[in-house]
Amino acid sequence: MSERQIIDARGAFCPGPLMELIAALKLSAVGEEVEVLSSDKGSVTDIPEWVKKVGHTLVTTTEKEGYWSVVVRKAK
Amino acid sequence: MPSKTLFIVLSSGEHEKLQIAAMTASVAAVSDRPVQVFVSMNAVLAFEKGKSAAERYQGGEISKIFKEKNVPDALGLFGQGKALGDLKMWACSMILDLKEWTVDNLVDGLFDGPLGLTKFLADAEDGELIAI
Repeated sequence: MSERQIIDARGAFCPGPLMELIAALKLSAVGEEVEVLSSDKGSVTDIPEWVKKVGHTLVTTTEKEGYWSVVVRKAK
Repeated sequence: MPSKTLFIVLSSGEHEKLQIAAMTASVAAVSDRPVQVFVSMNAVLAFEKGKSAAERYQGGEISKIFKEKNVPDALGLFGQGKALGDLKMWACSMILDLKEWTVDNLVDGLFDGPLGLTKFLADAEDGELIAI
């Protein structure tokens, strides 16, 4: 299994973190995971909503110190 | 069931309105929803080729905050929507005629061509339309 890709989108505002995630997923293979680090609170709810809408898999959402980690697995 | 196409009429060149149009269009497009944007009136001027960000983005209090913080560039968001989703952008043919412009006067890579309002509205009959 390939290494998980990490997108550091801390400091970016909506919809920057989501767009960075989508660009990374587009280049990923099915089954690979992408972790987004975001300090934008809106993105922490928006990213899972987008994942549900388009049919990928939300692996985890974890609050860290001053930011969140959201891990998404490409499902299609 | 496929989502209904979202049709956006963008007529304001104000930074805050460009931003919400770009956010709405790009997020909808990357969420498997086809989007078409009809750019008209003063909004066309914001897409003029060769303008600096300061010339292009003029608005009120929130615009100032956009410029101070790391907020995605509005035209960049339209570009991302096109690259990652099904987003088409049309420049109002009437405004191009009045300005004696063609789409070549507008920033590269965003517009799919000039279009008249009648054709845009006809295409929008089966979708959902919002005006900004």
